[in-house]
Amino acid sequence: MAGNGNARRDSTGDLRLENLSKIFPEREGQGEVRAVNDVSLTISAGEFVTLLGPSGCGKTTTLRLIAGFELPTSGRILLDGKDISMQPPNKRDMSLVFQSYALFPHMTVFDNIAYGLRTAGMPRAQVQAKVNEALAQMDLEGLGERRPNELSGGQQQRVALARSLVMEPRVLLFDEPLSNLDAKLRVQMRSEIRRLQRRLNITSVYVTHDQIEAMAMSDRIVVMNAGRIEQIGTPQEVYRYPQSRFVADFIGRANFIETRVEAVDGEQVTATVLGRTVHVPMEPLPKVNDPLVAVLRPESLYITDDTAGYPAVIEQTMYLGAETEYIVQAEGQALTVIESGLSALRLFDEGQTVGLSFEDEAIHFLPQTESVAV
Amino acid sequence: MKKRLPVLLILVLLFVIAPVGAQENTLTVLCTPQEDWCVAMTQAFEAETGIATSYVRMSSGESLARLRATADNPEFSVWWGGPADAFIAATEEGLLDQYFSPNAEVIPDQQKDPDGYWTGVYVGALGFCSNVEILDELGIDPPTSWQDLLDPALQGNVAMAHPATSGTAFTAFWTNVTLAADALEREAMEADGMSEEEIEEAMAAGEYTGAGYDEEGFPTEDAIDRAFEYFAQLHQNILQYTRSGSAPGRMAGAGEIAVAIIFSHDCVKLQVEGFEDILVTTFPEEGTGYEIGGMGIIAGGPEPEAARIWYDWALTPEAQAIGATVNSLQLPTNPDTPVPELSVNLEEVNLVNYNFVAAGMNRTAMAERFDQEIAPQPTE
Amino acid sequence: MTAISPRRYVDQFRRIFQDPILAISLIVVTVFLLLAVVLPILAMIGESTSPEGRPLFAHYLGTSTYQTIISNTVVMGLVVATVGTALGFLFAYVQVKVKAPFKRFMHIVALIPIISPPFAVATATIVLFGRNGLISKGIFGVRYNIYGLHGLTLVLALSYFTVVYLNLKGMMQALDPALEEAATNLGASKWRIFRTVTVPMLIPGLLSSFLLLFVESIADLGNPLVMGGNYEVLSTRIYISVIGLYDTTAAAVFSVILLVPSLTVFIVQRYWIGRMSVVSVTGKPTGTPQLITNRWVRWPLFGLTMFITLLIILIYATIFIGAFTRVVGVNNDFTLDHFDFVINGYGSAAMTDTTTLAAVATPLAGLLGMLLAFLVVRKEFLGRSALDFAGMLGIAVPGTILGIGFLLVFNNPIQLTLPFGGAEPLTITLIPKLTGGRAILGGALAIVIVYIVRSVPAALRAGVAALTQIDPAIEEASISLGADNARTFRKITLPLIRPAFLSGLIYAFARSMTSLSAIVFLTTPQTKIMTHQILNEVENGRFGNAFAYCVILILIVLVAISILYLTVGSTTGAERTLEGGA
Repeated sequence: MAGNGNARRDSTGDLRLENLSKIFPEREGQGEVRAVNDVSLTISAGEFVTLLGPSGCGKTTTLRLIAGFELPTSGRILLDGKDISMQPPNKRDMSLVFQSYALFPHMTVFDNIAYGLRTAGMPRAQVQAKVNEALAQMDLEGLGERRPNELSGGQQQRVALARSLVMEPRVLLFDEPLSNLDAKLRVQMRSEIRRLQRRLNITSVYVTHDQIEAMAMSDRIVVMNAGRIEQIGTPQEVYRYPQSRFVADFIGRANFIETRVEAVDGEQVTATVLGRTVHVPMEPLPKVNDPLVAVLRPESLYITDDTAGYPAVIEQTMYLGAETEYIVQAEGQALTVIESGLSALRLFDEGQTVGLSFEDEAIHFLPQTESVAV
Repeated sequence: MKKRLPVLLILVLLFVIAPVGAQENTLTVLCTPQEDWCVAMTQAFEAETGIATSYVRMSSGESLARLRATADNPEFSVWWGGPADAFIAATEEGLLDQYFSPNAEVIPDQQKDPDGYWTGVYVGALGFCSNVEILDELGIDPPTSWQDLLDPALQGNVAMAHPATSGTAFTAFWTNVTLAADALEREAMEADGMSEEEIEEAMAAGEYTGAGYDEEGFPTEDAIDRAFEYFAQLHQNILQYTRSGSAPGRMAGAGEIAVAIIFSHDCVKLQVEGFEDILVTTFPEEGTGYEIGGMGIIAGGPEPEAARIWYDWALTPEAQAIGATVNSLQLPTNPDTPVPELSVNLEEVNLVNYNFVAAGMNRTAMAERFDQEIAPQPTE
Repeated sequence: MTAISPRRYVDQFRRIFQDPILAISLIVVTVFLLLAVVLPILAMIGESTSPEGRPLFAHYLGTSTYQTIISNTVVMGLVVATVGTALGFLFAYVQVKVKAPFKRFMHIVALIPIISPPFAVATATIVLFGRNGLISKGIFGVRYNIYGLHGLTLVLALSYFTVVYLNLKGMMQALDPALEEAATNLGASKWRIFRTVTVPMLIPGLLSSFLLLFVESIADLGNPLVMGGNYEVLSTRIYISVIGLYDTTAAAVFSVILLVPSLTVFIVQRYWIGRMSVVSVTGKPTGTPQLITNRWVRWPLFGLTMFITLLIILIYATIFIGAFTRVVGVNNDFTLDHFDFVINGYGSAAMTDTTTLAAVATPLAGLLGMLLAFLVVRKEFLGRSALDFAGMLGIAVPGTILGIGFLLVFNNPIQLTLPFGGAEPLTITLIPKLTGGRAILGGALAIVIVYIVRSVPAALRAGVAALTQIDPAIEEASISLGADNARTFRKITLPLIRPAFLSGLIYAFARSMTSLSAIVFLTTPQTKIMTHQILNEVENGRFGNAFAYCVILILIVLVAISILYLTVGSTTGAERTLEGGA
């Protein structure tokens, strides 16, 4: 049951998903849906992992499988080595924070937060102390007697969070908890959640479709697409070294430039990108003459005067304040370039012919195997 | 609410179960006469004996149906009141127990069953209970014959009960069967060339030709058919068949109909209770039927002891005098009971030779036939 | 794909059985509905198709007399449904769309028939408009014949139009005024809007009201008994078959004949009209509805509605005055005898019995309805829609049929005999005798069960409507916080659907107190029921006693509603905060 002390927290909360699949049966003419397809994932204690992906990618279903609101069609879920796949959700030492907050509208803020503790049979005085502590921690002092509808959106979110945190679960689950907040509040809340999670060191699984949120908060990001895991990695890893065109495109923005392997030397691959021969490490190593896709982030491209670099024509210039975004025509395709900092101070005109350049390290090669349509 | 609800439920449940738990020293009476008489009787009995007595009032057809349905496990112990035909039918079906009450000895023989299955508790004659105001409007006199009821002026202005549920209505039906049988006999005898006097003699002696009565003195099929013909005609004037025999009297009193076919004592009761200037009792000159209100012990009833105590008590003059206190002015069967002043004197009424045994034996089949042939027919 | 399906059902049940309390409640609900609704109906059908029953079908369907009765029943149903729907529409239209005075007053008067016993209206109508009626004879000097189809229509339409009124009023208020405004912008006249926008939008509501009234009226027993005259209908035939002849086979055959139109209508309503929801209920009307102010439309509509309102008042005033009068119209002396009879006399047993049984049935029906709604809306399992269907059968099936089914199934104890090799066979009583003589608890249990069965559908529908408005995440949050399904239901679901629960309870109590047709065969010497006693009094022409009973019954229902409001309805603000907080 929930509600045990903090002592355990350092050593437990180890969550493992093994070949998890969930098939929803056909309904009303629609065929069956394979919402989660053979997902395996290990989350260590205290880690903050985000499931990221477009809507319908299976991230929410995966979360609901972990929470126990859905039963897996196949596969196992292990918490600290114990199989909990068949445990009912209320018996799992986890707590879910909902997108809609799901506050109990007929209870006061205090009663909302105390609900789980009372369910667990905690003595009255202890409940009182715990809830007050949670109220203080979440900056909700003095609001205990209010009803949820008398609170602002941000406050409601805090109550929802406090309600889950006060249970001191082994795993905290978040289902897009910030999507109903306005942009400013969202930024504030995400750092708050991250701070709290770090301090309490609770294993957390966070579902979002917002890549910035994922990057900002996560220890690791799990990028999902069509029920499958596309890539698991730290924010840097998934951004810097996307393992698929989908990931590269979904996280941040990317230019894809097709090319071919010219030589393989040790761990390095040699190929020509925008007229320059580059040597970039790649794994697994392709064979000579294999088609390749070079991933170039818009901010990795520089625009110079027409004399240097690869020739390109400015098609569109968008001045965004902190940065300037260009669409340029080069090698028969449109590339996006973002200039920021000092280089953004100089604006190139539409129709102007310029040169493109980049650092070799900015290039990341993907094998050209998947279908182009993303 | 979590705490309040279960407690409330338990309290309420206890409330329901508690009174049913005690089954000692009780009596459940199936009571057919009018409700207030049932009340007076059961209250008096309870006061006299200390036996907690409850009753359900049902018309006699209903009672019979109910007894038949629950024969395996009867809910009543004694059945009090209602025409004896129903008791005879019940006896035929083995629904009653024999009991020779010591108090039954004083009851005249023709008012009790020789085999002790039932004993009469009152007697009363069938009559027409008419609303004089309505008759005035219709421009006709109170009916004095069964034929008068067929007057088209009375269309929708006559009511009687349904013979399937009501003993009163069945008595009316069987009266007409008897009249039809008598008429068939007379017609047959006339055809044989017998004189008026000879016919009267033969009829009184029960020497029948077989046209109206068979060898056992039971009315023939022809007689029954002829009665059905009469009721098919009467049906055109009937507003509604009620469930309870006395109900049409109230309808007449309220002016909803002109004539009710009910027991005369029920009409007198209404007159006493506020309709004296409105209602008038008449009798059919061809002859009218009468009822012997019966009483029987229900076979296998739950309280046989108490049932016998009731049986004995109900035959005493004291118990029989209770009827008059609630204006139920039937004639008591115990000769020691004072006859109420307002009671209808049966001596002054032309009574048919009502064969209770034949009526009882035919009761169920006739009621069903009536329900199928007459009651559901549309009227103009 | 098909290979998946069985496993899916297994999964669903595995899921439910994870929570023992959930599993037990599902089993209890299912068993209850099977025993109390499905089994009696099947037994009744079985009896009608027995070797004795089959020839009766041919007889009844083939004889002109019985064909007349069947067509009488259908005609009555159609006429009452038409008139009742028109009445309900008129009241709703005036209430929502017409600028008229005294609206609140007309609204309250229109609600009265819900809480009054079935023949209160019929009896008062006879007193007012009968052969010797205070109005027909007293004022117009006509010996008017109220008995028959026209009288029945008046009485049944007035008794049942309230539910139509409430339905249509709700729908009209939910209609987005923008639609009508759009039509006005396009230059349509008010009459054209009424014809081409308002009415078509309300068609599902009108149709389902029509069908509801049809079923209610062909199932009605009390009114045809009291003022049917010679207009015979199936329900009275069923009644005489049982009461007078105890011919349960014939009764079962009539019942099946009656069941056909009732069930057809129910199924049409459920699977066809339920789907054609034309009404755009946005929940947030964008604008104020424009009221009709044209005096040529306004005043005639107002006048007609007011006339009917006054008629209803007149009828209930007659009931009230009749309760204090010796014999209305004949002897108008003031008397308290009728009340003495009901409160102190032999009528008192019926009063306390009925109230007690209704009080027992009410919370059970309310809870069962909410639980069923919870299972149906929130849980997935094989047979879910069958469960929903069975829950609704209690109202789809005429009461007399349920009563006969109960007699057929529960008149003998249901026993299981286990033979043990050579030794005495062991007989286990699974269900004791519930109806008739020496039934368990004096037959009270059977009556309580019937009350529950008859009340559950309304509670179920209210519960389903309320639950679908509530974000399932709120319940999941509770579970996620460690509460099991039972605690979640008690602490979260039930408080959130409190208004539905309350209306379910009120309906259950009112329905139980006023129901006749289902229990008329189930009363026993130990258990007396007010409506049955009222029927006796009415049938015997003792209208004063009947009126006193009615007055007291209405008072009991009103007091019970007040108590329910105080205990269950205490506003926590839950209902108001739903949108804001969730």
